Amino acid sequence: MEPIIATRDLKKVYRLGKVDVEALRGVDCTVHEGEFVAVVGPSGCGKSTLLHILGGLTGPTSGLVLVDGNDFSKMTDTDRTRFRRHKIGFVFQRFNLLPTLTARNNIAIAQDIQGNGFNPHRFNAVVEMLGIQDKLDHRPYALSGGEQQRVAIARAVICDPKLLLADEPTGNLDTDNSQTVLNMMGGLNRTFGQTVLMITHNPEAAAVADRIIHMRDGRIVAD
Amino acid sequence: MVNKLIVSNILYRPIRTALSALAVAIEVAMVMLFVGLAHGLVNESAKRLEGVGADILVQPPGASFLLAFSQAPMSMKIGDRLKDLPHVLAVSPVLFNFNSAGGLNIIYGIDMPSFVRVSGGFAYHRGGPFQNPYDLLVDDLYARANHVKVGETISLLNQGFHVCGIVEHGKGARLFIPLQTAEDLLQIQEKASIFFIKCTEPSYAETVADDIRQLLPKYQVLPVKEYMSLMTSNNLPFLNDFIAVVIAIAVCIGFLVIFLSMYTTITERTREIGILKSLGASKRYIIAVILREAGLLSAVGIIVGYGVAVIARKVILAHHPTLFIDLTAEWAAYAAILALVGSLLGAFYPAIRAARLDPVDALAYE
Repeated sequence: MEPIIATRDLKKVYRLGKVDVEALRGVDCTVHEGEFVAVVGPSGCGKSTLLHILGGLTGPTSGLVLVDGNDFSKMTDTDRTRFRRHKIGFVFQRFNLLPTLTARNNIAIAQDIQGNGFNPHRFNAVVEMLGIQDKLDHRPYALSGGEQQRVAIARAVICDPKLLLADEPTGNLDTDNSQTVLNMMGGLNRTFGQTVLMITHNPEAAAVADRIIHMRDGRIVAD
Repeated sequence: MVNKLIVSNILYRPIRTALSALAVAIEVAMVMLFVGLAHGLVNESAKRLEGVGADILVQPPGASFLLAFSQAPMSMKIGDRLKDLPHVLAVSPVLFNFNSAGGLNIIYGIDMPSFVRVSGGFAYHRGGPFQNPYDLLVDDLYARANHVKVGETISLLNQGFHVCGIVEHGKGARLFIPLQTAEDLLQIQEKASIFFIKCTEPSYAETVADDIRQLLPKYQVLPVKEYMSLMTSNNLPFLNDFIAVVIAIAVCIGFLVIFLSMYTTITERTREIGILKSLGASKRYIIAVILREAGLLSAVGIIVGYGVAVIARKVILAHHPTLFIDLTAEWAAYAAILALVGSLLGAFYPAIRAARLDPVDALAYE
């Protein structure tokens, strides 16, 4: 079976002022559909850069990036945006909900951007699974961190993405809420076969995953 | 959904919304009021002259149809020759005097009997016709604007004039003095700035005008109907330029405020734009959100602007009854289009800037 993610000698160099910073120094990895993968490593090891490239938020400097068979290194920003719209869901450490919208509209806007219109069946199934039925009319500031992250997960999966990318999803949560969020992501993976790639430096969070990739200095050092 | 996002964004920042809409409202009101004032004054001036009741105007050679620019007087004997033409019912000579105290006014020096024959006479609100050389008639609007009462003495042309009557407005000028007094003040005798001619039937106006042109080939002979068609803002020197400048300033205000408002909004909402991009929002989607938000602000401003224009008109006219402001649907539509286009142009660069934001940088924005 074709892997959903495949990278070969993936490199990313940022230019900060007059200094080139090598964030990724040749990453080779594959992730298959239905896997729950945790990427762990110290701060600055390139985890977030890898996630941004896999999510199409930024392009690689060199190397091959195949996501669901699409070569990101050859795609334009517009093409990557279109791909992201239909195939990728993001969950962030800081929840990143739109502060002016209610939880309901924060979730629904993902469907709107995708352009397929509001799907009430999918919407109801997702909010029920995440247990946020009672919170839909609340704005983010009226929700706890755990509730905000559950809304963010609902928004990420509402369009049934091929790949769910989570960037330190428990980084801003207490232990109980962290466990709840991890259980939900695990549940999505087990119940619906949702492919999840999660970045974390929390070993307990990583333990929920089927597979753990260790990164250091822009490279994968253990898989 | 986009509409909900736009409305919630607008409601989320009420002061910014109020200020932006207010700027657009001022733009709309400014355009409507200035244009309305210019057109209103021109139209009212023309209607007032039409209200004299004459069918033909005769002015000296080279005179402008703008009566205010026509002071070179003609001999009174011309009036006698005009009276003898067929189909002429009455000829009334008028000598213009200009008063600059308390605002620019044309004072008509009139020969009361002939002016009454041409105009059908004044409708007196208070008082009556001239009794003495330094008697003055004022129209009701002038009286209301300047709090003038019958029996008062007011200073005009460095002379004290006794207000002998207040008449209904619409007979050419707002101030009338005896012709002889006007001649004395100008130190001329037997002269007139204009002859108002009344025909036996209005349908003879063209025929009589042709006769006058043959009799007085170099003089300006203008049927009142033609005069009315000339008295539009398009024919008035510099008025259109003035209106254009006012409109340009108003549009600039709207453009700059919306530009600044949306520019600061983009900076403030950088992270939110990053979120939209992470969800796969295209550049076009983000531009549309920003432009529609500016359009909604503009629409609110336009509606408020209409209200401001109507209220401002009432306030201005209450304090200055001699002014006329025509608020027309046509210019309301133009003002709305100008405000909308200005707002969209003002929001365009911030929208492009937002669309070009790097999603990674935007998501990291604090």
